[in-house]
Amino acid sequence: MKKNCYQFLDSKQLFTLLAALLLSFASYAQSTVSGVVRSEGDNETIPGVSVLVKGTTRGTVTDLDGKFQVEAAAGEVLSVSYIGYATKEITIQGGQTQYDVTLASSMSDLSEVVVVGYGSQLKKEITGAVQTLDGDDLMDIPATQIGQKLQGQLAGVQINQTTGRPGQGINVRIRGQLSVSAGSDPLYVVDGFPITGNISTLNPDEIQDITVLKDAASTSLYGSRAANGVVLITTKRGKAGQSSVSLNVYKGLQNVPHYNRLEMMDAVEFAQFKKEYYEDAGRDVPEMFQNPSSYEGQTQDWYDALLQTAPISNYNLTINSNTEKMSTSVVAGYFDQEGVVLNTDYERFSLRINSDYKASEKVSMGFNIAPQYIRDNTPRTDGSRGTGILFNALHAWPNMPIYDDEGELTYYNRFPAETGNIFAYPNYVRSALEITNETKQTNLLSNAYVQYEPIEGLVVKSTINAEIRNSKYFYFNPSTATQGINIAIPAVASSVRDHYDHFSWLNENTVTYNKSINDHSFELLGGFTNQKYRRERTRISANTYADDRLPTIQGAINISRGGTSSDVQEWSLTSFLSRLTYNFKGKYLMTAAIRADGSSRFGAENRWGVFPSVSAGWVLSDEGFLNTSDKVSFAKIRGSFGVTGNNNIGNYTQYALVNNTVNSVFDNTVVPGAAITSLSNPYLGWETTRQFDIGLDLGLFDDRVTFIYDFYAKNTSNLLYNVQIPQEAGFGSFTDNIGEIKFWGHEFSISSRNTEGRLVWTTNANISFNRNEVVALADGIDRVYGSYHITQVGQPFGQFYGLNKLGNYMNQEDLDNSPQVPGRSTVGSIKLEDVNGDGIITRGGDNDDRTIIGNPFPDFTYGITNNFKYGKWDLNIIASGSQGHQLYMRHLYSTANLDGVFNMVAKATDRFRSPEDPGEGIFGTTVGGGNVTGIERDWANSNFVWDASFFSIKNITLGYDIGKIANVVKAARLYASVQNVYIFTPYWGGGNPEVSQDNGSGDGGNLSPGVDLTGYPIPRTFTIGANITF
Amino acid sequence: MKKINIFIVLLGIMVSSCEEFLTLSPETALSSATFYKTEADFEQAVNATYAPLRSIANSRSWLLCEMRSDNTIYARNINFGATEQQEDISDHALPEADGITSNGHVLSQYRQDYLIIARANQILSVIDEVEFDQTSKDNLKGQALFLRGYAYYELARYFGGVPLHLEPVTAREEAALPVSPEADIYNQLISDIQASISMLPVRSSQGVGRASKGTAQMLLADVYITQKKWAEAETLLRAIVNSGEYELIGNYEDVFSESVGNKNNMESLFEVQFLEGPEGLNSSFLYSFMPRPISSQELQPITGTSNTQGLDGEGNNVPTPDIIEAFEDGDLRKDASIAYVEIEGSDREDKVYPYIKKYAKHHDLHGNHGTNWPIYRYAEVLLFLAEALNEQGKTAEAAAYLNQIRDRAGLEATTASSQSDMREAIFKERRVEFAFENKRWFDITRADRVQEIIGAFGQRAMANPLDYYYPEGATFRDHAFSNITKYYALPAAEAEITPHF
Repeated sequence: MKKNCYQFLDSKQLFTLLAALLLSFASYAQSTVSGVVRSEGDNETIPGVSVLVKGTTRGTVTDLDGKFQVEAAAGEVLSVSYIGYATKEITIQGGQTQYDVTLASSMSDLSEVVVVGYGSQLKKEITGAVQTLDGDDLMDIPATQIGQKLQGQLAGVQINQTTGRPGQGINVRIRGQLSVSAGSDPLYVVDGFPITGNISTLNPDEIQDITVLKDAASTSLYGSRAANGVVLITTKRGKAGQSSVSLNVYKGLQNVPHYNRLEMMDAVEFAQFKKEYYEDAGRDVPEMFQNPSSYEGQTQDWYDALLQTAPISNYNLTINSNTEKMSTSVVAGYFDQEGVVLNTDYERFSLRINSDYKASEKVSMGFNIAPQYIRDNTPRTDGSRGTGILFNALHAWPNMPIYDDEGELTYYNRFPAETGNIFAYPNYVRSALEITNETKQTNLLSNAYVQYEPIEGLVVKSTINAEIRNSKYFYFNPSTATQGINIAIPAVASSVRDHYDHFSWLNENTVTYNKSINDHSFELLGGFTNQKYRRERTRISANTYADDRLPTIQGAINISRGGTSSDVQEWSLTSFLSRLTYNFKGKYLMTAAIRADGSSRFGAENRWGVFPSVSAGWVLSDEGFLNTSDKVSFAKIRGSFGVTGNNNIGNYTQYALVNNTVNSVFDNTVVPGAAITSLSNPYLGWETTRQFDIGLDLGLFDDRVTFIYDFYAKNTSNLLYNVQIPQEAGFGSFTDNIGEIKFWGHEFSISSRNTEGRLVWTTNANISFNRNEVVALADGIDRVYGSYHITQVGQPFGQFYGLNKLGNYMNQEDLDNSPQVPGRSTVGSIKLEDVNGDGIITRGGDNDDRTIIGNPFPDFTYGITNNFKYGKWDLNIIASGSQGHQLYMRHLYSTANLDGVFNMVAKATDRFRSPEDPGEGIFGTTVGGGNVTGIERDWANSNFVWDASFFSIKNITLGYDIGKIANVVKAARLYASVQNVYIFTPYWGGGNPEVSQDNGSGDGGNLSPGVDLTGYPIPRTFTIGANITF
Repeated sequence: MKKINIFIVLLGIMVSSCEEFLTLSPETALSSATFYKTEADFEQAVNATYAPLRSIANSRSWLLCEMRSDNTIYARNINFGATEQQEDISDHALPEADGITSNGHVLSQYRQDYLIIARANQILSVIDEVEFDQTSKDNLKGQALFLRGYAYYELARYFGGVPLHLEPVTAREEAALPVSPEADIYNQLISDIQASISMLPVRSSQGVGRASKGTAQMLLADVYITQKKWAEAETLLRAIVNSGEYELIGNYEDVFSESVGNKNNMESLFEVQFLEGPEGLNSSFLYSFMPRPISSQELQPITGTSNTQGLDGEGNNVPTPDIIEAFEDGDLRKDASIAYVEIEGSDREDKVYPYIKKYAKHHDLHGNHGTNWPIYRYAEVLLFLAEALNEQGKTAEAAAYLNQIRDRAGLEATTASSQSDMREAIFKERRVEFAFENKRWFDITRADRVQEIIGAFGQRAMANPLDYYYPEGATFRDHAFSNITKYYALPAAEAEITPHF
C-alpha cells in the first residue's frame, strides 16, 4: 500500500471522523456492539478506523488496539471504512455483540497514490512519465547506497557502478541526459527538499518509496534544476493505525571472484616474455630471465595480495508509534562494510525520526530529523599509473617479492638496470595498509512543515528545511609507503586535511485548492520558495615529516602553499511555481505547470528563467468502445511537452575573477601577485531542455499484465560551454551558453503476474533505447577533442577517437606496400589506417588520420526481475544488461607496454615475434623500442577499444517466511542473498564492464566516458538476513 | 481569508528583497570590477606579469634554445621511451605541416609569452585612469612595457610573425587576431622597450631583481644586435657600461646564482627569480638536466639534498662532445660549466656522462631549488659591445672588450685582427662564455648559420651515435635532423581554434 506522506486524511475523511467522534457522545440507548478491526494479510489491528451506523449519525473510531464499541440495533448496518482499504459493511445480527472485522487493502496498482512534485496523484490520473519503486522491495539487496539497489529496475534510467569503492561511484543518467560541462546528475528531492549533498549517504532502509520523474511535464515544477530528471525520495512515516517494532538485519561476506579479474602474466610467462624481448632485439638476456621455468610456483600476485574476503553487515531497527494525534516513525541504522581491498572500511550510523502531529482539526504539522555519521577509509585504489595502487600493483613485476625472507612486507623493489627495470615499485600492500585516506561525515537533514486548511479543499502549507553537512578528510602518507610508482622508500611523508562545511536551507510556501464540481475535478497549486546554499572549505597540505607517528600539521617541516587554501561557495534560488490539474470524469486528464527561477548563478543580465509544461491524458478504457474488451482492463495514452533547465554551471562563472595568488619572487622574498584568470559573461544562464514525451499505459487480463511505453525526444540548448579561445588572448576559454544536443529514445516496461495460486510468479522487465547527437557546438567549432575522445557535430557525444588499427605489418612486403609512420613503422609494428589516403600515417594536424573508433553508449540497456512465491518460500532474481557499448581499455598503455617495463596482460604472450610467428594480432613486435612500440602504446587507436556488452545477474535472494514465533515475534522472515552473482561479457580488460573513470580531465567525465583504468573491483556479496517484527 | 491576505502581503515583501537575495559575489576571490583601483592593486598586477617567466625559464627556454643547438642533446635511455616531444626538438625532427607543429613545448612557450602580454595589456589599459604617485606609476608602467616587449621579442625570435595584442581581451570575439608580420612585431616591441627605458629607474634605485633601466637598455641592445643595427646597439651598451651599475665578477664560477645566495649580483642585469621551498615558486631545472637513470647515491653529491631520490626517464640538455671541444685549453670556464657523473644503471659501456655544472648548487630538498636563471649578464654587455664595434669596423676597440672576458677565463688575448676573424672569435667566445644560458640557438639564427652549423652537427652525431650517449646498437631515429629550420612552426592547438592560421 502506498500513501503520500504529506497527504493527510483528506477533508471528507476528516469531517467524517470528527462527526463520528462528536456524535458518539450523544448516543441513543441501543445495544452495544464491539469488535476489533484488523488488516488483511498481516492481521495487524488498525486504530483510527471509522465505524459508522449507516443512515444514522452514530459512530466511532477504533482505539489504539483497533477496538471499537458502538450502539447499534439488530438489522442496522455498520460501515467500517479507512483510507486505503475497501469499505466493509456488516449487518448487525440479533444476539451477536462481538464483530471482528478484516479490511482488505483497496489498492489495486492503478489506484495507488504516487508522490509527484509538490503533491501526489492517483497513478491512473498521471499524465507524465513517472516510475515508482517501493523501498520494501529493495530491502534484501545488500548495498551501501540506494543507487546500487535500483540497477536494472527503471526504464530509461541508466545506473552504472563505475567503481567498487564503498559509498562511491554510482552514475545515474535519466534518459541519457548529459552536458558538455554542466553536471548531469538528476536532482534528488528527499521529503520535498532538493538536497545538495550526495544521495549515496542516505540509509536505504529509511526509504519508503522512490519516484523517478522523467519527462518535462513531471519535472518542470523543479525548473532550472530539472533537466537531468528528478528523483523523489519519500522516507518512512508512521502509518496511522499501526504501531510496531521491526528489526532488519543482514550479515555477509564479499570477495572478488577470479573469473572476471584482468589476467596478467605470471612469473614464468613474464620471464619468458623478457627473455624473448632480449632475444628478438638481438641483445644478451639478463641472467634473471635466462631460465623462465625456474619461476614455476614463484609468482607474486600483487593484485591478489591487495584483496581480502571482507564482512558486511547491516542492522536497522524501525519503530512505528501512533496515537490519535501523533504518529512517529523511527529508523535507527548501523551499517558496516569492510572492503575487498585491504584497509577499506565504511561505517554508517544513522537515525531518522519522522513525526506528524495533528494540532487541531484544521492545523497539522510535522518534523523530520535525520542525523548521520559516516566514517570511511579507502586506500587510493583508483586512478591511472602512478596514482592508483590497484593499477600500479596490477603491473608490478610478478617476480618481485611481496615479503622478505623474514616474512615482513618489503618496502620497495627494484632490480638492477640491466633487467630493464627502470621503475622502483613500492610495496603496494604497505601502501594499502599504511596510508590513511579517511573521510568522516556528519550530516543532518531536517524538515518541518505546518499545514492549515481554513476551508474544505484549501490547504496552505509552509515548510522549512535544512541540510547540514560536515566532512573531514584526512590523508597521511608515511615515509614507509606511497601509492605512486617509481618512488623509492623512504618517501617524503605528506598529509592533506580537507574540511568542508555545507549548509543549505529551503523555505517553501504553497497553497493548494482542490475542487470537484459534477464531473469536473481540478486542483490549483501556487507557491513561493527560497533556497540558499553555502559551503566553506579549508584545505591544509603539509609534507616532510620528521616522525611518521605524528602526522600533525605542526609536525611537518613544510606547509605546501599550493595545496593549502580556503574557499567559500554560495548560491541562492528564488522561485514562483504554479500548477493546474484538471480532469473530466477521471478520463480526460490535463495538467499545466510553470516555475520561474531566479538564481545567483545566472548573469546579472539574465537572472530569471521560466519553465512551463503541459500534459494531457486520455483513459481509453473508460470509454464505452473499449469496455467491451475483457482482455484490455486499462488503457491510457498520454503526451507532454515542457521546458526545463540545468543550473549546474558553477557559482561565479559569470564573473571575471582575479586570482591573487599569482605570486612572484624578488631576491628570495615572495611578493603578492594578482591577475584576471577568467572572462566575465553577464548573460550567462541555465541550459535549456525542451522535451516531448508520448506514452501508452496498458493493463491486460484484469491488470495481470501491465505495459508501459514511452517515446521521448528532447533538445538541450544553451549548453554551458567553456568555448576554447586562442590563448593569445591570455585566457584559455570563455564560458558561454552555446551549442545544442538532441536526445531521443524508447522505453518499454512490462510487469506480469505469470502464475497465481500456490506458485506466484511475477516478472518485471524493462528495456531502453537512448540516443543522442550533437547538433551544434560553438560557432566556428564543430568538434572538441579529448585525449582519446571526440565530441563532434552530427555524431553522438564522447565517441572514442584515434587511429584505426588494421593489424600488424606482417612482413617486409606488407610494410613496403602500406602507409607507414615515417621513421617509426617496422615489420611487426602496428599497422594503422591511412584515412586521408596521403600515403603516410599522421596523428593530429592537417593530415590527421584519426577517426571515430568506438562508441561508449549502448544500443540498449535492459533489466529483468523475476519473483517467485511458493508457500512460505520466496525467490527473487534481478538481472540487468547493456548491449553494444564499448570501453576504452586505457590501462593497456601501461599493462601492455611492449618495452618490458611493467608486467603485462597475459594476452601479450601471444604477440608478433616474426613473420613466421605473428601471434594473435592484438599486440605487435617489441623490437625497436619506444620509437616503434610507442605508436601502439601512446597513440590512441582502436586496439584500445573493446566490446563491453554485458548481461549481469545482479542479485538472487531466497527467503523463507517463519511467521509468528510465540507471542514475542509477530512475523519473521529469513533470507539468503547473493549480490553480483555473475557477469556474462566478452570484455576482458577488467571485472567491471560498467566502468567509466574520469581521468582528471575535469569535464565530469561527460566528454570522456567509458574509460577503464582498472578501478576498485565490484565484489560478489553473500549475505543472510532476517526481517523480524515484534 | 484575512490570514491569506496577510500571507500575500508577506509574499510581496519577500519578492521585493529578491534581487538582493540573488546577488552573491565571490567571497574568496576578487573580480575585475573590484580590482585595478589602487597603487597596491597595480603592484600586484605587475608582480603577476613576471610570474610566467618562471615556467619559461624552468621548463621551456633550455629546450627550445639550448637543446635545439649543438651545445646539448637529449641523452637516450633506451629502456624508457615516451618523451618523443623533447627528442623531436633535440634532433630536429619536429612534426610540421603547413607551418603548424603539434609539439607541446612550442605550444607552452607561446602561451606563456601571451600570458605575460595579456597581463601587461590589462595594466597598461587602465593604469592611467587611476591617480597615484607618478614616479611609482612610471616604474610600474615601465615594468609592464618591458615585460610586454620581452615577451614579443621571444615570440618574434621563435616564430617570426605572430598575432599582435595590445589591448586586454574582454569578449570572445576579441580573442583571435591575424598574424602580424615580423617587422610589425619588432616595431611594437622596440617602441615598448624604448618607452620603458625612459620610465624605469636605474638598478640601484630599483627593487632588487626587477627590470631596471639597464635591463631595458640591454634588451633593446639585444634586439638591435639581432636586427644588425650596430650603432644603435653601441649607444645603448655604452650607456650601460658608463652607468657604473654593473661589473664583472672576478671568478667565473661565482657568477651564477646559488639556491639561496649570490642572486642579483653585480654582474647580473636580469635573472628569473626563484625561491627554494614549499611556496611553489622554486625551480627544478637542475633535475631536468641530469642524465638518466641516475640513482640517489649518484645524484646526492650533485644536489646535496637530504632526501635524494633516483631519477628515471631520459636525460635532457646533456652537453655534447662539441661544446666540450669548444673550450680552449686552459679555459677556466670549462670545469665551472661541465662536470661528469658515472651512472651505474646506464646501458652504455662508458657509463660516464657530462652534465651542466653551472647551476648544480647544493640545496635542501629533492626537486626543489631556488637557483635563479640568468637572462642578461654584464659579460654579455661587453661581448655585445665588442660585436657592435667590430661590425662597425672598430675591430681593435672590440678586442679590448673581448679580452676582458678572455682574461677572466684565464685565456690569452685574442689573436683575431681582421673583422671577419674577430666576428668568428666573438661568436666562439659567446658559445663558451654563455654555454647553457640559452644564447647559442639565437646566435646561430641571427648569424643565419642554421643549416651550416646544425646540418653538420647532425651528420656528425648520426655518424657517431655512441659519442652522443646512445648505448651500443642503438642510434638516432631515421628522421632525425630532417627538419632543420630557423623558426618554430606555430602551435597546432592554437591553430585549431584561431581562424587566422
